[in-house]
Amino acid sequence: MDFLIEAILSVVRPIGITEPVLQFMLVNAILGISMYLLLRTGMFSLANAGFMAIGAYVSVLLTKELDFALGAALVVAVIVCALIALPIGLPVLRLRDIYLAIATIGFGEVVRIFFLNVDNMILSYLNTFQDAGLRRYELVGGGRGVRNVERLTETWHLIVFLIVIIFLLTRLQRSRFGRAMVAVRQDERVAANMGINVVYVKNMVFVLSAMLAGAAGVFNGHLTRIVTPEMFGFDRAVDILAYAVLGGTSVWAGPIVGGFVLTALPEVLRRFNEYRGVFNGLVLLLVIVYLPGGLINPQGWRKLWASARRRLTGQPAQPEAGGG
Amino acid sequence: MDGILLQQIVNVISLGSIYALFALGYSLVFSVLGVLNLAHSALFMWGAFIGLLVTDRLEMPLWVGLIAAMIVTGLLSVLLELIAFRPLRKRGAARIAQLISSIGAAILLVNIAQLLFIRVYNRVEAAYPRGLVPRQPIIIEELGLRITPARLIVVIAALVVMILLQYLVTRTSLGQQMRAVAFNQRTASLLGINVNYIFLMTFFLAGALGGLAGVLYALITNVVDPFIGQNIALIGLTAIVLGGMGSINGAVLGGFIVAGIQIISIDTVGSSYRDALVFLLLFAILLIRPQGILGQPESTRA
Amino acid sequence: MKKFRLILSVLFILPLIFVSVVSADEHDEDADTPPIGFWEECETPQNLPDELTIGAIFGLSEAVAVYGIAQRQAVELAVAEVNAWGYLGEGVTLRVQFEDSAGNAQQAIAAMEKLVVEDGVLAVLGPTLSTEAFAADPIAQENGTVVMGVSNTAIGITDMGDFVFRNSLPEEAVIPGTVEQAIDALGLERVGVMYGDDDDFTISGFDVFVDALDDNEIEILSVETFARGDRDFSSQLTSLIARNPDALVVSALAAEAVQIIIQAREFGYDGPIIGGNGFNSPAVLDQSGEDAEGVIVGAAWNIGDPDPEPSSEAFQQAFVEEYGVAPDQFAAQAYTGAWLFATAIRCADSDDRADIRDALAAIEDFPSPLGLYSFDENRDPVHDPIAQIVFEGAFLPLASVIEGAAESDE
Repeated sequence: MDFLIEAILSVVRPIGITEPVLQFMLVNAILGISMYLLLRTGMFSLANAGFMAIGAYVSVLLTKELDFALGAALVVAVIVCALIALPIGLPVLRLRDIYLAIATIGFGEVVRIFFLNVDNMILSYLNTFQDAGLRRYELVGGGRGVRNVERLTETWHLIVFLIVIIFLLTRLQRSRFGRAMVAVRQDERVAANMGINVVYVKNMVFVLSAMLAGAAGVFNGHLTRIVTPEMFGFDRAVDILAYAVLGGTSVWAGPIVGGFVLTALPEVLRRFNEYRGVFNGLVLLLVIVYLPGGLINPQGWRKLWASARRRLTGQPAQPEAGGG
Repeated sequence: MDGILLQQIVNVISLGSIYALFALGYSLVFSVLGVLNLAHSALFMWGAFIGLLVTDRLEMPLWVGLIAAMIVTGLLSVLLELIAFRPLRKRGAARIAQLISSIGAAILLVNIAQLLFIRVYNRVEAAYPRGLVPRQPIIIEELGLRITPARLIVVIAALVVMILLQYLVTRTSLGQQMRAVAFNQRTASLLGINVNYIFLMTFFLAGALGGLAGVLYALITNVVDPFIGQNIALIGLTAIVLGGMGSINGAVLGGFIVAGIQIISIDTVGSSYRDALVFLLLFAILLIRPQGILGQPESTRA
Repeated sequence: MKKFRLILSVLFILPLIFVSVVSADEHDEDADTPPIGFWEECETPQNLPDELTIGAIFGLSEAVAVYGIAQRQAVELAVAEVNAWGYLGEGVTLRVQFEDSAGNAQQAIAAMEKLVVEDGVLAVLGPTLSTEAFAADPIAQENGTVVMGVSNTAIGITDMGDFVFRNSLPEEAVIPGTVEQAIDALGLERVGVMYGDDDDFTISGFDVFVDALDDNEIEILSVETFARGDRDFSSQLTSLIARNPDALVVSALAAEAVQIIIQAREFGYDGPIIGGNGFNSPAVLDQSGEDAEGVIVGAAWNIGDPDPEPSSEAFQQAFVEEYGVAPDQFAAQAYTGAWLFATAIRCADSDDRADIRDALAAIEDFPSPLGLYSFDENRDPVHDPIAQIVFEGAFLPLASVIEGAAESDE
């Protein structure tokens, strides 16, 4: 495995992708898949930044305070995410489209604010009900976050995890349940008429997606060495969405490539110094405009190629185009 | 405590006016095109920035800054339609792709603004000239109320804009065409409406509104940087969903409700929980009335 | 599509036009005796290669750029001086490789890995935020490369290892003295407190303020919070001011501080406002004008010192000449940080990372803009903080204003 990672790195290092960058690319690919599952079922949910936060906080407390191994913390954190996703999903998944999106953003914000204030909540509980007379109580450190987390995530953990997820995902897509997901996306009413339990399918996917996002949070928390509420705000929710959409949601490879590209891009663009952000926005804009179906979308590439060829052969000269 | 309550109500009105002004442009694009333009907060920032350049660098009066900001952000908004939205519509792309392209456009606009800030000011923040509006607060002694002229201007502007927009949408032919396009693009074009033109006009209006909101916001807060749109973006989104997507009055109502909850929460549960309260209420309202308070029930929007 | 390309090119050309219209002019510095540096204490180095590279990780994009850009400008200024004055010997050039962290832990880690492992820089300045430092500094530590925070005030930064330094005075070194002086001078009994609860800097400041107030048996009437980026504080202020505090105690960064000062005055509060390091910015005076009168600031950099260090005066002058704006505390600390690195390299006379570390730790009584500067055994800064008050439109030492007032009373 080490040899494989070294080989990959020796190829990508010259363009600015070092091992930490590769690790974040893998984490974000997992996040991309978590979003992909939702979009494949037609659910525009932006709750996964919140579940990522829950996964990160739960696991970091377990490994730091209770000396859990990373694997054990991963299992517990993922189960916690599932248990929280279930009661959230039941009422919220009745909503659709932008309403679902905004309600789930609300969930993410509430999670963020919870972690910002949970120490003070515990403090006032201890002081009012147990007369602890404490001035301060620190569990997750509020806005400062949990610090000095051990860096337990290894690159091979992520690669193995991703491979397992891809394996399970391809099996899932070929199963009855996988077809039910697609049916629900295409038309819930028709799906229900076909005998699909729409509520079950949607909730199941929501829970699975939350578990994946939680797992990404676990790995991420043990990479960044610090976990703060600000890491899981609105921006993160939108980033996760972008991984899936930019990569493409027609095949499982889409969100993975999306996560890879969007994570690597700012690092690769470091050579542009102060123009980095401009190029970052420009690349995102151009890719989505020319390939609206995402990067991994054979049909989109074919169309693009066809129109390019048409232009090359049909209108060979464009003298006035450079005049701007 | 009555004095405080009254003052807090005044605070709600002044903060709510800012949110409402911001949300109006957001809402306009959504109601006509059915897409979320996440670059709206970048236009808001550009408005504040252009207003700054005109009043500070060119030393022109405030009204010139306002008009210049509205024209520039209106045109930028049209540019957005041409670059980020129209090509995708022509390709028949999913609305979610348009959302992502608007994010790309927002990143681009913010970063260009940052480059310009550094070239012009050698740093990424700058303040509006003092004395653009009188600073002495208006005091009503017997009620213990205070409001600054800048905040009063914002409240009045929000009122005027809301009434004008309402008039434009319901009484003018442009408004009628916009509503027809919003209702059904294909039917509208069969009726001989130039749909692309209506889209351009909608974007221009929305951008100009965003720019206006930006200048007025900066009048209250004085300081402008390329990132002032980011904090208000989520609030604006919340406001339009709460009030009812695609409803102009809804956007305004949503803006005031969000401001109200934020301010009430400070005197009740404490300022740390203020946004949690906003989103919990949003949650509750969406579950009871998914289309928002004033929104029309509809199932085809994305 | 043609139209599309045209629009794109216009989008690109617009900023370029601005660039050419408003360009900063070059400036030549020609001083006989540089106001800063260990010119006598350490011999001119003989064993250095022609080019030395240090790294700097600052938040140069996203909201943190408000601070990061000033830091980069200050470091660029310092390094230009080091090179122009031949501080590292004839023909030796010091280079800085800047990397943007965008206020984000992931990018800070990537930037640190790039600088320390890929580029092999001699030492690293930054990162801007404490959160980023907790994420990225261990990489420098593991690779035996010095990293020096120039704006990290969180508790525990230098506990990450013996290669982790900082020159930013933490709030606990600044605030208690300020609070005591303010209480003595103004006879405070009841105060209202406001702080940003989502930022390490402002939370640390809040904790220290509360401890200092408790130690002095001052009653805290109420505590209000806000978030980074908030610009409307009307409701918090209405609530606080209604309780008639003797003073407002505020832990905020400059951007929020300015608004809090202005809006507090709008709501008719004219008492003292006490702040920490975050208030120590010319922006506070520039942007809040007469509203800032009576603002008391405990700070690491004595911007208003009537009898400033020559290096502080020279720095302010050079910064204004180069950039047209007055420097803030972030800039002063970043400038000092770059000079400290250059001094460590000069005194070590070596480009070995461990030698540089040892030379840096050994620096004592360095005449910097922050005052006579040393590191303590934990690699934390040692220099005198100062309590200042805005008096007649300028920052003045609190002590001098109190004395002046006492004299005129007699």
